[in-house]
Amino acid sequence: MADDYRVIGTPVVRPDGAEMISGQAVYGPDVTQPGMLWGKILRSPLPHARIRSIDVEKARALPGVTVISAHDVPDRRYGYAIEDEQIFAVEKVRYAGEPVAAAAAPDEERALEALSLIDVEYEELPAVFTAAEGARDGAPLVHEELGPARSVYLASWNPVPGTNIIHQASHHRGDVDAALARADYVFEDTFHASQIHHCYMEPHATLASVRGSEVTVWTCSQEVFQLRTLLAGLFAIPESRMRVINTKVGGGFGGKIEPRLEPVAVALSMHSRKPVKMVMTRAEEFTAAAGSTPATVTVKTGVMKDGTLAARDIDFLWDTGAHAEGLPPSNRAMKDGNGPYRVHDLRISSTLVYTNKMRGTQLRGLGVPEGAFAIESQMDMIAERLGMDPLELRLKNILQEGDINSIDDVVQSIGLQECLESVAREIGWGEPKPPNVGRGLAVIAKSPTTHSSISAAYVQFNEDGSAQVLVGASEIGQGMTVVMCQIAAEVLGLPVEQVGISSADTATTPYDRGTFSSRVTFYTGMAVKIAAEDARNQLLDVASRMVEIPREDLAVAEERVVSPVHPELSLTFREVLERAHTSERPILGRGTYGGKGDYPTLPHKAQRKEYVPGWKYAAQAVEAEIDEETGIIRVRRIASAHDVGKSLNPTSVDGQIVGGVVMGLGYALHERLQFDNGRIVNPSFMDYKIPSSQEIPEIAPIAVEVPLPEGPFGAKGIGELAIVGIAPAIGNAIHQVLGVRLKELPLFPERVLEAVESQRKDHGG
Amino acid sequence: MALLDLKVNGQEAQVEAPDTALLLDVLRERLFLTGAKRGCETSHCGCCTVRVDGMAVHSCVVLAARCQGKEITTVEGCGDGMELDRLQRLFLEHGAVQCGYCGPGMLMAAKALLERNPQPTLDEVKKGLDGNLCRCTGYTPIFDAILAYSRGA
Ligand code: FES
Ligand code: FES
Repeated sequence: MADDYRVIGTPVVRPDGAEMISGQAVYGPDVTQPGMLWGKILRSPLPHARIRSIDVEKARALPGVTVISAHDVPDRRYGYAIEDEQIFAVEKVRYAGEPVAAAAAPDEERALEALSLIDVEYEELPAVFTAAEGARDGAPLVHEELGPARSVYLASWNPVPGTNIIHQASHHRGDVDAALARADYVFEDTFHASQIHHCYMEPHATLASVRGSEVTVWTCSQEVFQLRTLLAGLFAIPESRMRVINTKVGGGFGGKIEPRLEPVAVALSMHSRKPVKMVMTRAEEFTAAAGSTPATVTVKTGVMKDGTLAARDIDFLWDTGAHAEGLPPSNRAMKDGNGPYRVHDLRISSTLVYTNKMRGTQLRGLGVPEGAFAIESQMDMIAERLGMDPLELRLKNILQEGDINSIDDVVQSIGLQECLESVAREIGWGEPKPPNVGRGLAVIAKSPTTHSSISAAYVQFNEDGSAQVLVGASEIGQGMTVVMCQIAAEVLGLPVEQVGISSADTATTPYDRGTFSSRVTFYTGMAVKIAAEDARNQLLDVASRMVEIPREDLAVAEERVVSPVHPELSLTFREVLERAHTSERPILGRGTYGGKGDYPTLPHKAQRKEYVPGWKYAAQAVEAEIDEETGIIRVRRIASAHDVGKSLNPTSVDGQIVGGVVMGLGYALHERLQFDNGRIVNPSFMDYKIPSSQEIPEIAPIAVEVPLPEGPFGAKGIGELAIVGIAPAIGNAIHQVLGVRLKELPLFPERVLEAVESQRKDHGG
Repeated sequence: MALLDLKVNGQEAQVEAPDTALLLDVLRERLFLTGAKRGCETSHCGCCTVRVDGMAVHSCVVLAARCQGKEITTVEGCGDGMELDRLQRLFLEHGAVQCGYCGPGMLMAAKALLERNPQPTLDEVKKGLDGNLCRCTGYTPIFDAILAYSRGA
């Protein structure tokens, strides 16, 4: 029975908690090496310009300074999906913030002084700043040549040569046009999601050290192995000579997946023959790292009088900026764009466009928040027109066990209805409320991670009977370390304090795809479970030889080998390990997990892809007070229910939910990177406000447990969905109070007022 | 360059630093106390919060020279050897530490708050942490930890 677990499901404290709260954890900016230099990047001030010349001679004349630009580094392109980037701009710059040169010096001031002595002559080029402009015929080209794509993306990659469209895709099921024609009502609306920033508190920081033929990079990354592969390829050295060591990571949210400082730091270290440390300023974070990938979403939905969704046609137009890191969100929207609804006749198209701006990349939920704002706003518009309760309309159309979802999979282990009913109950749906208070709902879903979502783990017994878990996934604050220790402890019959865990290091921990897309609990968790079972079995083998009882009759419990058939038997782990270590061999359990299938492109059934387990579902409800005079929205309460499969650690689960909800609050109400001719004009926490302690409403996290048979102890990932539904739920609450519909994020007070004003005019005229 | 006499976590330290050196940089680069973090350049994140004569300050905007003769307390001055203090333990038990980057600053702000006001209301806690940003936890677990402390939990 599920509830028999000893360690699983208990609120165990993180093993790395003490080092963090005592200030001793070593984050990216805390790493030092003897004799290290500080590296700084000279960035383009212009969004689109030809580089006429770069003169570094004056800078190089400074004593103790190393200066490099495009001439000094490998002439190779890189990128995880599309290889469209070089270490420094070659021939032209494509966004304000692009690296043009770099300097390393014994201190930061000297490095900055060197940068100030570099002369770059630019010739400004016409630029494009929105996806719509970029997609227009004859628009100035951000990249004259498109691609190439990395091999995993090749089969699905569909660029339009001679344009800024780096990828275009369309997925079609049934006969959408006929179904729309048959529908009683057709709704067509366009929504805009803004570009937000990850705003992890720890800025990007890297220290690279080249010694002989070995390169070591300490960095706060979400994916050390992918980074190693990229760096090794870029500098043409074997992966065995390229070591990437994770520091403590001070938050990621998708912003620390792809390389940022690492290629420059390695190049500077190669040239200076000294360790080089680089830390981004917050202004660099805002102007040159990355943001989310913003989208314009047009949804056409056909509905029958009784509220049945008949057909949907969704079109996404994505602005990826100067580099195509928006490919994963745009691909994900192809699967997840329809939300958790039963719609047979369905078309989803997605167009990813280059512009002359800082790139968009993955950000918590990648592609799901943009689609959900559109779909969940429109669901309430539909409900209003039909005179239906928005809760009823959703209950009528959400996916249920056994339904066919948007990508032709049979829905399994879904707890969505329970999520929806529990948030409705929690928020007091249908109960009386003051006239200026509204309530709004949203339901959301996210498909499992795709392409090569693989993980490996070792579980090793120490001599005293305690155990060590080795995994290469990154702890970025989500609580992976404690959950992996719990999984191992549960299997091994150890108290959780007796299990230690390593931090990702490509030279010592086994391969893992990394921390992204809520995948670690599931994939890395399965690898750890398998490795722990292997270690336990090896331990029982040794014990079996010691006591001459067959292994099948032995079990582990409370740091001992016991036997249900021989109740008198009690052998401590330490005794078994002593035997293993003195006269047999060490015990090293090994686990690998690769999930069940893959669907990088659609329709995946046509490619005979298997069902991939691990869809995530959630429902959210808000209660907000809206001031009609000022347009100010005060969110009073939020309920967020998540189908977690099995909650492995309630503290971590609640933490992911509450943290995600608050990030969703910022996304909904006030976060937005603001551009003027391609330049970001709010690059600080003063002008770009993330939620502060003062605006936190009452939040009720709810874990619904519908076990996923394939997951570790039934668990599913949880990290992302909590950000997703807050914006549409607040939009729905605003509509309930004022009768106006806001279709653009964030929901600024002045936008609320404008909407009220234009509604007044419409009614007046 | 000046020779500064600082008292950090109860210990005297003499540091050579430029007159314009910021307390945060002196702590991190000269004294190797990297518990206080840098998260911005505009005094908006609070990751650098330490206590000077009991007051929580953003050490990224305080001149080190101005702290001479004052008691500077950083996160490294909390707890005892391998033992965490009670507020640190409550932070962990309530899940107030996710990525942990804001943690040392939050902790110091919370300590200053609790000393000023040992029985704060939830609103007072929210106000007291206004200078400290956290992107991971959604703050609620931090409030809970502080309130649990004041309740004597
Ligand atoms: S570093 Fe951000 S307030 Fe001091
Ligand atoms: S725990 Fe990550 S910023 Fe607060």
